[in-house]
Amino acid sequence: MLTGAATPPDPARPAPRRTRSWLPAARGDRGLFLLAALAFGPYLMFLVLPLLLSLRSSFTNQNPLRATNEFIGLRNYTEMAGDEQLRASLAFTLTLAVGVTIAANVLGVAFAILLNRTSLSYRVMRTIAFLPQVLSGVIVAFVWQTILTQNGLLNSMLTGIGLLDEPYPWLGSPRAALFSIGVVVTWVLSGFTTVVYLAALQGIPVELNDMAEIDGVRGGQRFRTITWPLIAPGTTISVTISLITVLKLYDIIAVLTGGGPANSTQSTALYIVKLAFTSDRVGYASAVAMLLLALSAVAALTVTSALRRREVSL
Amino acid sequence: MIRKPLLAAGVAGLLALTAACSGGGSGEGGAGALTYLTFETPSLTSTFWNDSIAAAQKEAAGVKINRITAPSTDRDAYAKQLQSSGQFPDLLQSITPSNFVGAGLLKPYDKTWVEANFLLPQGNALKGEVYIPPTNSQIVPQVYYNKELFAKAGIAQPPKNWAEFLDACAKLKAAGVNPIELGGADPFAAGMPLVGIISADILGKNPKWLQDRYADKVKFADANVVTAVGKYRTLVSNGYFDKGALGVKYADSITRFTGGKSAMYPMGSWFLGAVPKDKADSFGSFPWPTDDGSVVVPFVVGGSMAISAKTKDPAGATKFAQAWSLNPANLKLLIETDGAFPMLKEKTLDDYGVTVTQVFKDSYAYVTEQNNKVSAIGWATNDDSLPPGLNDQFYAASQALFTSDDVAGELAKLDGAWKTATQ
Repeated sequence: MLTGAATPPDPARPAPRRTRSWLPAARGDRGLFLLAALAFGPYLMFLVLPLLLSLRSSFTNQNPLRATNEFIGLRNYTEMAGDEQLRASLAFTLTLAVGVTIAANVLGVAFAILLNRTSLSYRVMRTIAFLPQVLSGVIVAFVWQTILTQNGLLNSMLTGIGLLDEPYPWLGSPRAALFSIGVVVTWVLSGFTTVVYLAALQGIPVELNDMAEIDGVRGGQRFRTITWPLIAPGTTISVTISLITVLKLYDIIAVLTGGGPANSTQSTALYIVKLAFTSDRVGYASAVAMLLLALSAVAALTVTSALRRREVSL
Repeated sequence: MIRKPLLAAGVAGLLALTAACSGGGSGEGGAGALTYLTFETPSLTSTFWNDSIAAAQKEAAGVKINRITAPSTDRDAYAKQLQSSGQFPDLLQSITPSNFVGAGLLKPYDKTWVEANFLLPQGNALKGEVYIPPTNSQIVPQVYYNKELFAKAGIAQPPKNWAEFLDACAKLKAAGVNPIELGGADPFAAGMPLVGIISADILGKNPKWLQDRYADKVKFADANVVTAVGKYRTLVSNGYFDKGALGVKYADSITRFTGGKSAMYPMGSWFLGAVPKDKADSFGSFPWPTDDGSVVVPFVVGGSMAISAKTKDPAGATKFAQAWSLNPANLKLLIETDGAFPMLKEKTLDDYGVTVTQVFKDSYAYVTEQNNKVSAIGWATNDDSLPPGLNDQFYAASQALFTSDDVAGELAKLDGAWKTATQ
């Protein structure tokens, strides 16, 4: 209970000396502090600690089968400069991240505008739009695999109606596989972006739209002058989270293509796992993980600061 | 200020949470049970493992087993994850021993017991020690063919050499039949033609080639390997595979081949378990063809479980592993559904009570006959195993060569990966 704060101060008494001001004085506040510590504990244990261990590992030649590991300084980091597979995986990951972030956000805005109604049917459609986001990546990938493989539903349909003479290798050529993975990840992420943009749209005062209606501002002009500027905070959140999600993408690619054909769809996250548990190079995998972490942080900070500049408040 | 008991309670709570999260295994077995890493496939189901464990426990009285199942068929990767988190199992089914022996994680079997019970006691030995009882063998790959489609294309006999093989492919293509099936979306399946070519043309002539590669006496980029792998490009550029083969999943490739969509299918002998019984007479097999027609059989021996060098009960683990390995009932299912060729001494196929097809018997003949058996590159579990990570590179090269003419470049990449893996 927060009883201490409710007691009026006695003006005759000098104010107590504030020692250890970072500690809440009242018993109830201690409870809150304990709760915060309990919340912070798992954060330390499951995020900060592994991060520090991974950072330490990146300076070693750690191997999952060896009990002891040697400190090798910056050798893992210098090796990255000449690693062709790493370069290819970064190029693939960045291409996918940029493409999917743009596509998922464009679709998110479009769906949000379409679904920004209050009737029951629109609420059902919102739920359907969000559905891909709640499915596990592995399940999503298995479902899409049955659609995209050589004998899959898509080829059966396209050859059945005569649009294709023979099945197209949607997952069997580097470019087609990149495109296919992009479509699947966009499908998943657009559920999230739709919800974010819907929330942003619902934050726009009705009066503004009414005034615009009276002034005859409609369609594209209204979107450009009112909607787009006012959903800017949603854009910042949605773009940043989409970007980070794709930069660390692993599960969907692992199931859908396994990084193939010929490593052409090997994301950096997938490469890290293969380095650690197929090639037994945990130390080097940790160094690549640190690179991916830094890249994600830089990308997130750059995008956030750029998008924040265009945010407006009412 | 937070009182110490509260802090202690918080820490205890966190530790309890961590323990709950990290608790592995099935929870069966209780105290003192040995952990046994298995994997499941449509053929090797949970029931199979439970029944086989129960049967072995009858022989190894008092040994308790706590079975854990790898989340995928990649047992090696999962065993490494378990090792790195301090949970290396006591018994590990069908792993690649070379990945673990270097770190001193596996215990060798008694040589006298191995010599006494198996046809090829040293078939999967590493530096003279046997870490997995050689209970059965596989040929990786053979070429399976559809007799009806061969007849349709006017091919009277299965090809015996490379020239006849190319001729058969040309005739099949001319007859409107896809000559060779390839489940190229799954890297291991995409690698089958290269496994056949290198095993037959390179290891067939120099069975010590992989040992020489470890000693840096030979390289993948050598002219003879480039020439051999160039044959794969010939098959691709002549259109003898389906154009979209890299999009075909392994499971689909089986149904496509058994459904008559393609005439030939290079695959490990586990394919024999997928031959439909009612159409088995339509299928035959022949060894991957060599230039001069000599028979080379790419061969792998394995089949049972490895024992951890750190197991808390070496005697119990060994007793259980030996009982499991010698039980014909366990091999029966592997023979019938996984195309495993049994390698127990003094036993015929009839002793296992199996029902197998004629194509199985014909393929098994290559195992029992005296011929040029060599390690199947990428599949061997003996001294010819590839270094960690090389299999992935090998499969990637197989997929890359489906669309790229740069044979020398891809093989040079393999040499680079070999160097990194063995540093």
